[in-house]
Amino acid sequence: MTITVWLVLAILLIAAIFIPRVGLIAIYKTYRATRERELVEDALKHLLDREQHGRQASPESLAGTLNLQRTRVMKLIEDMETQGLLESRGANLHLTTQGERWALHVVRAHRLWERYLTDEARMPLKRIHGESERREHSLTEAQLNDLDAALGHPTRDPHGDPIPTREGTLLKAEGMPLTAWQAEGPVRIVHLEDEPALAFEQILAAGLRLGQTIRILDRNPQRYLLTDGETEFRLAPAVAANVSVAPLPESEVAKANAISLAELTYDQRAEIIVLDEAVQGFTRRRFLDLGLTPGTVVYPELQNFFGDPRAYRVRGTLIALRKDQAAQIWVKPV
Amino acid sequence: MEANEILAKAESLRNGLSTGFRDEIVKSLYTEAETIAKRAVKSISDKKYDFDQKIDRLVTSPYAGLPIMLLLLSLIIWLTVSGANVVSGWIAVVLFGIGDYGRALFNQIGAPWWLTGFLWDGVYLGLAWVVSVMLPPMMIFFPAFTFLEDLGYLPRVAFNMDWLFKKTGAHGKQSLTMAMGFGCNAAGVIATRVIDSPRERLIAILTNNFVPCNGRFPTLIMLATVFVAASFPPALTSFIAAGTVVGVVLIGVMFTFLASWILSKTVLKGEASAFTLELPPYRRPNVSRILYTSIIDRTIFVLWRAMQTAAPAGALIWVLANIHLGDSNLARMIADWLNPFGLLLGLDGVILLAYIIAIPANEIVVPTMMMVYMGAGMMINGPTSNSAIFDLLVNGNGWTMLTAVNLMLFALLHNPCATTIMTIYKETKSLKWATLSVVMTLGTAFLVTFLTASIARLLGWA
Repeated sequence: MTITVWLVLAILLIAAIFIPRVGLIAIYKTYRATRERELVEDALKHLLDREQHGRQASPESLAGTLNLQRTRVMKLIEDMETQGLLESRGANLHLTTQGERWALHVVRAHRLWERYLTDEARMPLKRIHGESERREHSLTEAQLNDLDAALGHPTRDPHGDPIPTREGTLLKAEGMPLTAWQAEGPVRIVHLEDEPALAFEQILAAGLRLGQTIRILDRNPQRYLLTDGETEFRLAPAVAANVSVAPLPESEVAKANAISLAELTYDQRAEIIVLDEAVQGFTRRRFLDLGLTPGTVVYPELQNFFGDPRAYRVRGTLIALRKDQAAQIWVKPV
Repeated sequence: MEANEILAKAESLRNGLSTGFRDEIVKSLYTEAETIAKRAVKSISDKKYDFDQKIDRLVTSPYAGLPIMLLLLSLIIWLTVSGANVVSGWIAVVLFGIGDYGRALFNQIGAPWWLTGFLWDGVYLGLAWVVSVMLPPMMIFFPAFTFLEDLGYLPRVAFNMDWLFKKTGAHGKQSLTMAMGFGCNAAGVIATRVIDSPRERLIAILTNNFVPCNGRFPTLIMLATVFVAASFPPALTSFIAAGTVVGVVLIGVMFTFLASWILSKTVLKGEASAFTLELPPYRRPNVSRILYTSIIDRTIFVLWRAMQTAAPAGALIWVLANIHLGDSNLARMIADWLNPFGLLLGLDGVILLAYIIAIPANEIVVPTMMMVYMGAGMMINGPTSNSAIFDLLVNGNGWTMLTAVNLMLFALLHNPCATTIMTIYKETKSLKWATLSVVMTLGTAFLVTFLTASIARLLGWA
């Protein structure tokens, strides 16, 4: 009797370990394969990043980025060479055409995920990078194309980095670091570097965001003093180097004298100039659906007794918006 | 051109598009619509518009806004509770009459006692009980609620309340789904479809159960009348009882805010997302539509789901009460076994047993409790006078004030009924969220009752 029980248990145990696909060994193998693939993809990203910034990649730089032992990295490089993903020339590593294609695929996945998490899932900016790092390895080419189409073929991620197209072309990054900008006059923030995370959080905490028009008030070795016309922002030079700016495009010139919808006083009529660039995806669609299109005349009509939200008369209907939403719509009083 | 060529051309042209081209498309659509509207629609006077504005000023004003809201909600609940009592009586007479007739018929043809008992005192009684207690309040509450909805008043409530919900990371429209929860939590969960951002919608779904539904009101009212109001002069009884129930409801609202806040700081972390709310013009309610949506979409829908779970529950109750072991029955034995845990929470074993059996529908909590306390073989109403109920519970079964208070808290906070859990699963399509909704509420109920019991015992109140 007891022997039968033990025998059954033993058979079950063996089955649980060895059964193909769902057994413990199979699970472990899948886990190892996935982990290996993630490593390869992270290495490809590193090489692409270096190439784009005109810097050389080496086994040392790779070991530093991936946080691996040197022997482990040499093994990884060897594997990737046999797969035809990279070539080493002297001390430097270079992507092959095949390797670059794959690298672009991963970068595209990462940036499309960031766009999705920001626009549709409405996750805070400081969390999207880490989340996308985890998710970038799991999508196939076809799934990526679907995601791309569902998001309306975005060209830039929420940090301002260009998203590779499905053909594999990657636009050059716009603008130059704030620390390298010399000219006077207003500029537009076109890129916020998300690595290291600490610097990025400082940028966000200071209140800077993509698409903002700013002016440099003062710069010295201790800090940068910036303004958007109302608020002043302070950044350490090391952090300021992670903010890229470019000259103002024409559409921004129109926005120059505009105020936000939230600043209108009761019953003050104004014409919508433009929806802020930071509003994308779900929220932007919602605004447009409700008739908050450029050229529309609106005015605040009803105030909540706590002051927020307010209801605005838009095309004959009454639409309530919270203050942070209204602050994303630029208007000119008429 | 071939389809593929066209697609390829579109693909190549896309890169040349300016970033704002979607805005331009929508803008041109609106411009077109505006021209058509100008040609076709003539507005003669602004009278209606001015009138709407006056009402809006009133219902959103700092002094009148909140009182009007509370007044309307209390009115609806009062209408429901008092009106339902009468109708419930009628339905009960008819349905229980049919039961008696069926039982007599079975006895006449000589069916074995267990078959008669199982079918008529178990399955049928469970069904009849749930229908007679559940149907009338829903038939009053839902039309009244739909009336306010059709009138255009409800979005104004969301507008008034949004500030509070924003603080807890939730959506102003959650106030509407909560109000719906008074009618039925399952209907409240379905109503969260009006919240268009997924994160806020999940918060509204998971916290909806902290609003007591129609099915839980009888328990609350019975306890408030028998225990709290009894020590006041008879003239004040109904007011004190109503006040106590309102107090319990407010505690539930407090827990809703607390749970929303905790959820939006933990599992549902994220920014308070897009809040856009249309405040439509006031309309004359359309009676036939009100009746249709409230009766067909809401009442029948919820009742049908409840009946599916009430019949097996009725059968189970009968089996537990009629399997005798020695001089005790199965229900009594399970209750005795649960008793230590019940006492720890300031309740007792019978209450816990009643809540386990009543997972399908909270309406049968009180009748099941009465059945076990009085040693009956089927669900019963219990004594008719308040003093007799008080005597049965306190002198007969060792209740104290603590038991009554904790039972009210437990009724407010405990897990959603089976219908609601099923609805949460269907709405979220996720076993994970359905499980969380149970764990979260049950955990809260255990924790709160345990704390009140411990504190009361430490301070020597019980």
